[in-house]
Amino acid sequence: MKYTNMNRRTFLKVTTVAGGGLLVGCSFSSPKLMSTPQASEEELGLWVRISTDNKITLIVPASEMGQQAHTGQAMIVAEEMEADWNSIQVVHAPYHSEFKNSLADPRNIQITGGSSSISFWWGKLRQVGAGTREMLIEAAAKKWGVPVSECHARESQVLHSESGLSLTYGQLARAAAKLSPPDNPTLKSPDQYRFLGKSMPKLHTPARVNGTAQYGIDVRRPGMLFAAVQQSPVFGGQVKSYDEAAAKAVKGVEAVVPIPGRRFSFGSTGDGMAVVADTTWHAQKGLEALDVKFVGGDTLGLNRSKVSKKLSAALDDIGKVDVQSEKVLEVEYEMPFLHHAAMEPMNCTALVSDNSCEIWVPTQNQYACMEAAKEVTGFSEEQIRIHTMMMGGSFGRKQTRDYVEQALIISKFIQKPVQVIWSREEDTQHGTYRPTSMSRYQVGLGRDGLPVQWESQIAQPNLLAQLISPLGWFDFDPMAVAGGVHDYGLFPDHFYKVNGVGTDHTNVELGVPVGPWRAPPNSINVFYTESVVDELAELAGQDPLDYRIKLMSESPRHRAVLEQVAKQGGWGSTLPEGHGRGLAINDWFPLEEAVTVVAQMVEVSVSKRGKLKVHRVDCVIDCGFVVNPDSVKAQIEGSIIMGMSAALFEQITLEDGRVAQSNFDDYRIARMRDTPEINVSIVKSDSAPTGSGEPGTSPIVPAITNAIFAATGKRIRRLPIGRQKLV
Amino acid sequence: MTTLKINGKQHTLNLEPETPLLWALRDTVGLTGTKYGCGIQQCGACTVLIGKRPVRSCGITVGEVAGKEITTIEGLSEDSKHPVQLAWVAEQVPQCGYCQSGQIMAAVSLLERKPNPTDQEIDRGMLNLCRCGTYSRVRKAIHRASDLLKEVS
Repeated sequence: MKYTNMNRRTFLKVTTVAGGGLLVGCSFSSPKLMSTPQASEEELGLWVRISTDNKITLIVPASEMGQQAHTGQAMIVAEEMEADWNSIQVVHAPYHSEFKNSLADPRNIQITGGSSSISFWWGKLRQVGAGTREMLIEAAAKKWGVPVSECHARESQVLHSESGLSLTYGQLARAAAKLSPPDNPTLKSPDQYRFLGKSMPKLHTPARVNGTAQYGIDVRRPGMLFAAVQQSPVFGGQVKSYDEAAAKAVKGVEAVVPIPGRRFSFGSTGDGMAVVADTTWHAQKGLEALDVKFVGGDTLGLNRSKVSKKLSAALDDIGKVDVQSEKVLEVEYEMPFLHHAAMEPMNCTALVSDNSCEIWVPTQNQYACMEAAKEVTGFSEEQIRIHTMMMGGSFGRKQTRDYVEQALIISKFIQKPVQVIWSREEDTQHGTYRPTSMSRYQVGLGRDGLPVQWESQIAQPNLLAQLISPLGWFDFDPMAVAGGVHDYGLFPDHFYKVNGVGTDHTNVELGVPVGPWRAPPNSINVFYTESVVDELAELAGQDPLDYRIKLMSESPRHRAVLEQVAKQGGWGSTLPEGHGRGLAINDWFPLEEAVTVVAQMVEVSVSKRGKLKVHRVDCVIDCGFVVNPDSVKAQIEGSIIMGMSAALFEQITLEDGRVAQSNFDDYRIARMRDTPEINVSIVKSDSAPTGSGEPGTSPIVPAITNAIFAATGKRIRRLPIGRQKLV
Repeated sequence: MTTLKINGKQHTLNLEPETPLLWALRDTVGLTGTKYGCGIQQCGACTVLIGKRPVRSCGITVGEVAGKEITTIEGLSEDSKHPVQLAWVAEQVPQCGYCQSGQIMAAVSLLERKPNPTDQEIDRGMLNLCRCGTYSRVRKAIHRASDLLKEVS
């Protein structure tokens, strides 16, 4: 999908609200969709609200999970609106067709994902801001009896330079609301920008340093109860027995509620039980007393080695390809399941009444919440209200409906507001994991050392089908191959120009729920591709940087980013003994034409006793025009830590059908002491924005393993690096 | 009945003494700035101060802290202008922010013990987990807060 919204006709509609003020509605589909004459402050349903005291509320479509989409989206509207930055507040959009994002999800649903909060909304939000500004200026011009051309807007005021007259947006809001909105507002040119392109402080920082930021887990409703849940540890298992009387004997416990598992394309999460009490602690104690026993399940008997064998057998079913050339690389790689491990565990608060339903939920996916609410309650959309809460991290996890359904089912059962909180153990053992994967590469090199035949075979669970279940009918998952060198004509070629490409993949269904984990499909395929390219450079006896550049003859933008990071990190300069450097590059999102390019260079050391340390990471990103450079920098810093953490430590494994890990003591993630020096550079660009939340996560992984090879000669082909012997 | 002294205020609560302080703060007192992350004292999201000591409130009971001075993120300053908070804003540390109450409380305590912490002392003293990966900014903010605290005193 491409960035196409700039020139679409915009329908603006305005309406006044109780108490005075201006609401600007802006519809990109049909003007009649946007009529909210009864709008109240809580039911904005629109884009901008200006109150008579000159406060501006921006209703932003993106869910906030730490990626600072709220700040970025607010900057875009405020820029065009000529708003006073200090008088702005942002709120999450309600559920409404206006807030669908077709770039984040091909179904065109209301969802935040795919690093698209700026790239998808950029054009629309500028029009909202510009249209609002033009209406306010027109209102002032009419009041003063002067031509619009003599007026201009600045810092939430309209000014008439000749007379020195001025009115605030708050003073103009009522009059502006009676005007017809412009069809084609004039956008500012980049040389007129005051915020865009500058590092504005993140809007939520003050609330995030004094404990007032409201996450899903912080929702409090009158009479609210808390629910602790336990689901079958074996995926797809059923409840065998439980001791309801014992649970109800625990102080504060009010109810015991069965919760059905959720079916997904290739299995079920498994049934569970919930205990409802006056506090989280009592609910947890009640759940312990309930002593739930489970039976059966789809993954029963599955363990780590059986998973590997299944993947390996799937590769054998595809079968090796005959590769004829002087030098041939034949290697197999393996990657584990990964958990998102957001610091805020899964939670949702719901109130189901006789004829209405409200949910307060930290979610990336309002569509899934609405579908869950309709299904559980039987209500229509008009009877259901979704309040999106700030997320304490998500990384792709908080876009499912499992936890939302549970809150709805329990609230419907007890007829009271209830907050479901998963324990860390539930969160770890009932994830939607980054798929485990195994691959085989057979690459033949020509006389010049460049590939003449490139065969890749990948075996892994079908990721796309778990997001969009009908696609499970096809044994094809673009997410299994995109991000690497491939021969699929359906989406753009890889930036490495390689001849003789053959791609094969097979779906291996294990009954384990999988889902998008920051940067699918790159989180798998970039490790494969960038490791293999490094191996080929070695086989060809060439420098890994030069070798990559030779393969990039048709991708000057990628080449520039890679060369810049090599220069920044001092590629080729002398290193102390035991140190090594590694490179890797990727682009995002590989199914689209307009991509973000990220290259990283890592310096590691491996001690004589085999102790690994990541010392320094250099990174260059080209993501088109940058709305807020500090936000992009923060996303890249965080991506590097998350990718490094995955490379070094992380894996979800199965033991007798259940996830073997349960908390941060056995699902180790990076800490302060693991953190390297990180240097991020952003390429200056006037192209349309492309996104920065995910593309920095994947290249760091092969950059580290390539650096380990440079330092030790040891090639890591199975992740995590963990305790593998490096010397 | 248990009496807790939180942020300088006495709270008499009808709680069993074995209730973890974390849930007393969040569900009974209504101070939700202290976060639940793991329940086993691994992640530090629930860090509060007991006196000047950083304590993971999921792993200590109200019975153990009755009568002691408990400080949560809400009580660190009245105006969000504690030097550590100012440093956190200046370095724009938080991403999702969920772990930051705990990070800040841990940093306040670290700076009490080590007013001029080296990077190595920060590595040893800051064991709180951050999945967003804000560690380099936490480090910078601690150095900045160290400078700010010197100006104040």
